[in-house]
Amino acid sequence: MKVRLLQLGAVAGVLALWGLVAAVGVVSPTALPGPAAVAGALGDLLGSGTYWQAVGDTLDGAVIGLLAAVAVGIPVGLVTGVYAAAEESSRLLVEILRSFPVIALLPVFLLVLGSTPGMKATVVFVACVFPVLLQSQYGARSVTPSVHETVRTYRIPRLLRFRRVILPGAVPSVMTGLRLAATTSVLVAIGVEVLTTLPGIGHMIMESQQAGASDRAYAYILTAGTIGYSITLLAQYAEHRLLRWRPPVRAGEAA
Amino acid sequence: MTGRILRQLWLPVLVFVILLVSTAGSTSFYFPPLTTVLHTLWDQLAGGGLLDDLWFSLRNIVLGLALATVVGVAAGLVIGEVRTLRLALGPLLDFARATPTVGFVPVIILTLGIGSGPKVFLIFLGSLWPILLNTVAGVGQINPAVHETSRGYRVPWHLQLRRVVLPGALPQVFAGVRVALSVAVVLMVVSEIYGSPIGLGNFILQSGSSFHVAETWAGTLLIGVLGYGLSVLLLLCEHALLGWYHQRAPRASRPSPALTIEKKSNGVVV
Repeated sequence: MKVRLLQLGAVAGVLALWGLVAAVGVVSPTALPGPAAVAGALGDLLGSGTYWQAVGDTLDGAVIGLLAAVAVGIPVGLVTGVYAAAEESSRLLVEILRSFPVIALLPVFLLVLGSTPGMKATVVFVACVFPVLLQSQYGARSVTPSVHETVRTYRIPRLLRFRRVILPGAVPSVMTGLRLAATTSVLVAIGVEVLTTLPGIGHMIMESQQAGASDRAYAYILTAGTIGYSITLLAQYAEHRLLRWRPPVRAGEAA
Repeated sequence: MTGRILRQLWLPVLVFVILLVSTAGSTSFYFPPLTTVLHTLWDQLAGGGLLDDLWFSLRNIVLGLALATVVGVAAGLVIGEVRTLRLALGPLLDFARATPTVGFVPVIILTLGIGSGPKVFLIFLGSLWPILLNTVAGVGQINPAVHETSRGYRVPWHLQLRRVVLPGALPQVFAGVRVALSVAVVLMVVSEIYGSPIGLGNFILQSGSSFHVAETWAGTLLIGVLGYGLSVLLLLCEHALLGWYHQRAPRASRPSPALTIEKKSNGVVV
């Protein structure tokens, strides 16, 4: 209870500080509008159709790309995690591809695929597949040898082994990957929208700012933050629910 | 040793060769031969001004990331040490990290200009949160006994922060900087594509929109190399600074390696 009060106090403090900085006029109001103006703009937007359209467009691209990344990343990650040879062979390649800044592919994608919602989903997919893949791999590797030996002794078929033994064993780590990928997906979707003419939150930020309505731009940025924060909370909740059967362990790498 | 390297190397080499062969006679407009791309890259680096772009981008990233590291670690150490602050600011910090910094790109660049300063600021803004939050988490993972011991010996607080808390949190700090690095590269590219007279992002945008496809691929490739190079550099730094930590990690389950470790970890058992 006291913690909640403290947190509310901190939020109020930050808002007050923001208001003060904006009111004193150290920064121009186009760079940082006051909290009241942003709240007003957000209130107006919440009642408008364009706002929800933009949110929907962004989420569309992010979710499609993310789902594709999950569909590819988890199986590939589990398989390469189980077979040491596959893991070793692919390590360097994955390492190089992973550190590639996906957004830099945008001009190339724009050339090849054009400015389409499918292009946005593709960029999201490329950005999200590696965190999912690597965390699945990490999770599959964390299954202890004794479990593998037991499975072999009982001659459990391969498919069943992946579905019933390795996947559940890897879930904590996979969830970490999913959480990372989900936040990345929104980030990348908005990034693509800022740089192209594709509709969505990123595009609206740009349009608002260009029209001089920076309070509206900030309202959209806050919306993006709320989406990202909700994803984090949701993922934490899902992780908690999915892993109730397991004693708390430190899984995956904290990032 | 060579066997291991071979096992890791064959697939990347194979992919490279396949790309090289499959695009060799390519007449496709969008996928020029890899040799042409590499040739273009070399030409542009040697005399085409790409080096200036690279320098501009690299400087922004390093400046922004360094600023974020200094501020993030300092703030993270304080927030991690003071329980009240940590509890009060928790949700706010999570919210700040979840907010996509790319959203700020139009706002900042349209109001503050297309120069280097706003870009450094954007990179700083995006890199700050992962570093700060990881530092807070790193401080939280330090064994309470360490705190009590240093309090028991009345170690002054500034010495305690520098010699006890910072080394203890360092592994997590590095994990944060690694995440921040990838964010920084993304922000570098986005801010330069959005509005910049120079820089790698501007290079690929300009060549792409004027359909100089080989140059676009070359620039994209260079950004990839830059990203990978920086992450390798960071890893080297980490090994130099955290050798004591990584040496211990794989041996954690073995009996009593403690004697050699205590010396290396600045006298702090973590």
